[in-house]
Amino acid sequence: MRLFWSAFRFQAALAVRTPDTAHVLVTAPLYTIVFLAISEHAGRADLAPYSVLAPVLMSLWSLALLTASDLISRERSRGTLEAMVATPASFAVVLVGRISAVTTVSLVSFVESWLVAYLLFGRLVHVDHPVTLVCCLVLSALAMAGTASTISALYVLLPTARTVQNTLTYPFYLLGGILVPVSFLPVWIQPFSKLVFLSWSADLLRSSLSPQPVVDELFRLSAIAVLGAAGCALGAFLIRRILRRVRLTGTLARV
Amino acid sequence: MSYAVETRGLRRLFGAAVALDSIDLSVRAGEVRGLLGPNGAGKTTLCKILSTVLLPSAGTALVLGHDVRRDTQAVKQSIGVVFGGDRGLYGRLNPKQNLRLWGALYGLHGRSLSRRVDELLDRVGLTARAGDRVDGFSRGMKQRLHLARGLVGDPRVLILDEPTTGMDPVAARDFRALVGELRAEGRSVLLTTHDMAEAEAVCDEVTLIDNGRLLVTDTPARLADSLSVPERVEADDVPSPVVAQIRELPEVTAVRLSDGLLTVDATSDAGVRRVLSCLIDGGVTRVRTVRPSLEEVYLHLIGDRGMSVST
Repeated sequence: MRLFWSAFRFQAALAVRTPDTAHVLVTAPLYTIVFLAISEHAGRADLAPYSVLAPVLMSLWSLALLTASDLISRERSRGTLEAMVATPASFAVVLVGRISAVTTVSLVSFVESWLVAYLLFGRLVHVDHPVTLVCCLVLSALAMAGTASTISALYVLLPTARTVQNTLTYPFYLLGGILVPVSFLPVWIQPFSKLVFLSWSADLLRSSLSPQPVVDELFRLSAIAVLGAAGCALGAFLIRRILRRVRLTGTLARV
Repeated sequence: MSYAVETRGLRRLFGAAVALDSIDLSVRAGEVRGLLGPNGAGKTTLCKILSTVLLPSAGTALVLGHDVRRDTQAVKQSIGVVFGGDRGLYGRLNPKQNLRLWGALYGLHGRSLSRRVDELLDRVGLTARAGDRVDGFSRGMKQRLHLARGLVGDPRVLILDEPTTGMDPVAARDFRALVGELRAEGRSVLLTTHDMAEAEAVCDEVTLIDNGRLLVTDTPARLADSLSVPERVEADDVPSPVVAQIRELPEVTAVRLSDGLLTVDATSDAGVRRVLSCLIDGGVTRVRTVRPSLEEVYLHLIGDRGMSVST
């Protein structure tokens, strides 16, 4: 755990000095404007919470995937990848700690989206269950980091894994019910969405903005944690296997 | 005898290309060993195998008795790795932040990590710049930070791959002193370098490698002695008739005259004596005998390929 926090603190310090990490802080408010403009034009003020939450989750997931790939690419080009793998530390823990730092720091995009709704559209999105909201956001950020570490593993194997990274964005937006609730999707897709932590995150976040009591809160938080841990375990497994393979092929530092 | 590094029949292939071929290398505990060879000779491949980031195709490699293939974690805890050049550091962060990360990767935390980082910054002379961004550092300063990074885990074996690349002469001198300190602390150092003066200055023994094969291992002095030129004579302001007379001596293999300095190589001690006689008889008093440098041994054994890479 100490290694996780050391990696977390290091990446947080690096992230605030890296301009491209901050792109989520630019894209999230822009998405919010687009989604709110659509819902306002349709006369659906009740969809304002969707329009505030969707950009946050979309940007965070996209950033988690970008960070997972960029970490490996940059360590390679910086010449630190081999030195890092040569240390006794678990490379998987270091990666998840570093991706978590970026996703957690970027949670500030929720505040931005909320302010855009209020200042530009006059929509005050009320947070009825703030503890649920914070717990869900933090847990989702960690689950994103764990799941995105699978992409890091693929980048260790293939420096050109960008296609895989891109194909994991929109299916997750869709299955996660981020913008369109899963119940609106074709029936045959809906069971798959339950296997995606984002669908639990999006549902619970919307519940936290609703005046109704949150039902099964602990169970839903646990679902996010379990699915995030499963993604993390898969990432750790792939990283171990792939590191063994690149030691054999001699392609660890290949750019 | 306990070895810090020991390889037996070590072989590494990249496809059909042989990067290392039956390498038998033994580095004693506490020894500073130089690994010399041209580009593509296999030095970096050997360093990568010893640092566990590359697996051998055949043979064994042990670090402090731990097999790099089976006891990877034990090897990782025993070694520090320093790669040369500008790369390998986080330029947007300061040296302290850089070292704190690497210390954490070696299991250091809290006060012990802070103390270790401060000690190392002091040791490599970067305390005054501890809060500055690394991308504003000179190459020499970056190289010193690389060295600190290699030492942060308190390794018993240090692998230094071209560590003085880009260092100015003062920094290179300080580096040599630092390697001396590491030896005094009982650490073993495997140092790859192109710099013959550096190898002569800091290494107990040097190993010459070319085309993936070890050519020879010995002390720099004995390697120089092994050349066919047992002694060399240098003299200043030698009159032309005396130079001509020396050129005629049968034991003399080479006579070079540059900026008033005459350099004569002979094939035997008897030849050296005859050269000295000629010089003294000719009234020359500023005369000295010198051994061939390690650079000449290197060129003799590996050949002068200019900028070409071995195949």
